[in-house]
Amino acid sequence: MRLLEHEAKQLLSHSGVTIPNSELLRTPSDIPTLFPTVIKAQVLTGRRNKFGGVKIVHEQAALATTLQSVFAANIDGYMPESVLAEELLDIKQEFYLNLSVNRDEQAVVLLAHRDGGVDIESQPKDAFFREVIDNDSKSRALRLAEYFGLESHEFALGELLDQLLDCLKKNDALSLEVNPLVVTKAGELVAADCKMELDNAATFRHPDWNFYDIPLSANFVELNLRGTVATIANGAGLAMATVDAVQAAGYTPANFLDIGGGASKETVMAAFHELMKYSELEAIVINIFAGITRCDEVARAIIAAREEIKGLPALKIRLEGTNVAEAHTLLSEHSIVLYESLDAAIGAINA
Amino acid sequence: MPSTFNPQHVIVQGITGSHGSFHARAMREYGTRIIAGTSPNKAGEMVDGIPVYSTIRDIQANHEVDATVIFVPAAHARGAIFEAIEASVPLIICITEGIPTHDMLAVHQRLAGSESILIGPNSPGIATPGESKLGIIPNHILSPGRIGVVSRSGTLTYEVVAALSSAGIGERYVVGIGGDPIKGMDFVDCLAAFEADTSVDAIVMIGEIGGQSENRAADYIKKSVAKPVVGYIAGHAAPPGVQLGHAGAILGSKQESAVYKSERLSEAGVTICKTVTDITPQIQKISRSTQ
Repeated sequence: MRLLEHEAKQLLSHSGVTIPNSELLRTPSDIPTLFPTVIKAQVLTGRRNKFGGVKIVHEQAALATTLQSVFAANIDGYMPESVLAEELLDIKQEFYLNLSVNRDEQAVVLLAHRDGGVDIESQPKDAFFREVIDNDSKSRALRLAEYFGLESHEFALGELLDQLLDCLKKNDALSLEVNPLVVTKAGELVAADCKMELDNAATFRHPDWNFYDIPLSANFVELNLRGTVATIANGAGLAMATVDAVQAAGYTPANFLDIGGGASKETVMAAFHELMKYSELEAIVINIFAGITRCDEVARAIIAAREEIKGLPALKIRLEGTNVAEAHTLLSEHSIVLYESLDAAIGAINA
Repeated sequence: MPSTFNPQHVIVQGITGSHGSFHARAMREYGTRIIAGTSPNKAGEMVDGIPVYSTIRDIQANHEVDATVIFVPAAHARGAIFEAIEASVPLIICITEGIPTHDMLAVHQRLAGSESILIGPNSPGIATPGESKLGIIPNHILSPGRIGVVSRSGTLTYEVVAALSSAGIGERYVVGIGGDPIKGMDFVDCLAAFEADTSVDAIVMIGEIGGQSENRAADYIKKSVAKPVVGYIAGHAAPPGVQLGHAGAILGSKQESAVYKSERLSEAGVTICKTVTDITPQIQKISRSTQ
């Protein structure tokens, strides 16, 4: 789950990181008292500068119209529901800092760059400062300070790294990016912008997260709105393999769908309803290898879907595993064909 | 022959829960020697004749323990793995899905320098068909043979194992390394074990999008694996940046894609299959050509 800038900065602030003074505006008629100010659209994309999502306002007369334009901006497909008005910082230098869980290192990795700003993705990899965070933190701050050319800020940088790590762990964040990290003319380190992603799996121990907009499960993913074959499978790997086989046979897969283990008739029915938004389907391929799931339950959903859903595309069904014999009996009573294998099911689409 | 994958004194952590008790029975029916289980508040009870203790240390006072299968809920899984590491259990298999990433990072740190091997989390477990299984792989799909199967996905493992078995080709070991980004045993460790084990003739490796472990496996195979390997990478149709079911199945860089990994493995001498159903015919070809 990714956070908006103002949400991420609140978490930084709780860990002691200095953030700019700000006001969160919910409507274009909320006029900020901070002035002069930088107006920032709160959207989940890093490209808001390029789409008119960040504006600096030096003249009071321009404030209302600028606010309206930022609220109305279409930022790479995102519309801001709120806007952050922040104090202007007296910037001396800008840097890039990132702490992320890295699966290849199986550890948290610190990434830093001398040039903060928006085009960080285009920088060559070897220009970054990169260190795996282990328990031995001795002289990490010194190395970072030397890389930044900020030797006089070694202790402040060390404190900041500790605060950011605290923030990362305390909030079950998978990544935390401060870009830019500003050094003000007064010598203070300030997190001027921040992106953060939290670990959905840790929701159970963060009751406060109900405040965020937690996305639905990763179990349904749209691949192509104009896809010609939709898929229903159980298990992430089997669902991916089913999509792959559909594509390898020359069809355009519409979606990835993992109904999970132990799916009920209702879950499967809901899946059918979800797939009806694809208007160009030639078929729905159903591929179930039931362990905890029961094939007869899936069969009942298939029978119900055929009776209840108008315009249901052809179903190409392969069921295997728990209670498959019962499923076979149920489906044959309704003259619904089962295929021996996934290949046979896909092969039957154009037969 | 006892091996890492076929331990003789197995316990179940979380044995009184619905999954724990169900699968403890299924494992025992398959021939696994389940000697005891743990559950913090139910010491002294029995689950189908299997004694329940409150801690692993309590079991160790009476029994040798050489493997544990963990079914405890995600919120308590880190503690369960820590307990097994501290009790020096040689093989820890974690079935639990949805453990927070920072918990697994802590586990990873504690594993370093310990005597334990971790498989999982989010793993279907492992099996030595005809002898034992530790985890939730359905009993009826397993059949003894000489193929080593290693996979990141549960249901895809079942699919492949069932196909191998029904084609009359059995499996020597089935190892589900799990679908999470931070985990214990990886492909390379498992490939090394299969390569060293004379009872394995050929290897099936099932990977997916996300991470670099299949690419590290390709380097390893090129250098150190002489046995034939048939591979499949799931997620060819995956769009970048979108998680497909598994926490670890997310396509970041180009090197994490199914196409790239397939090419790397192919260059390393692996027979790459375009679809999962092509694996069994490829294994059949290999076994015919080596006979």
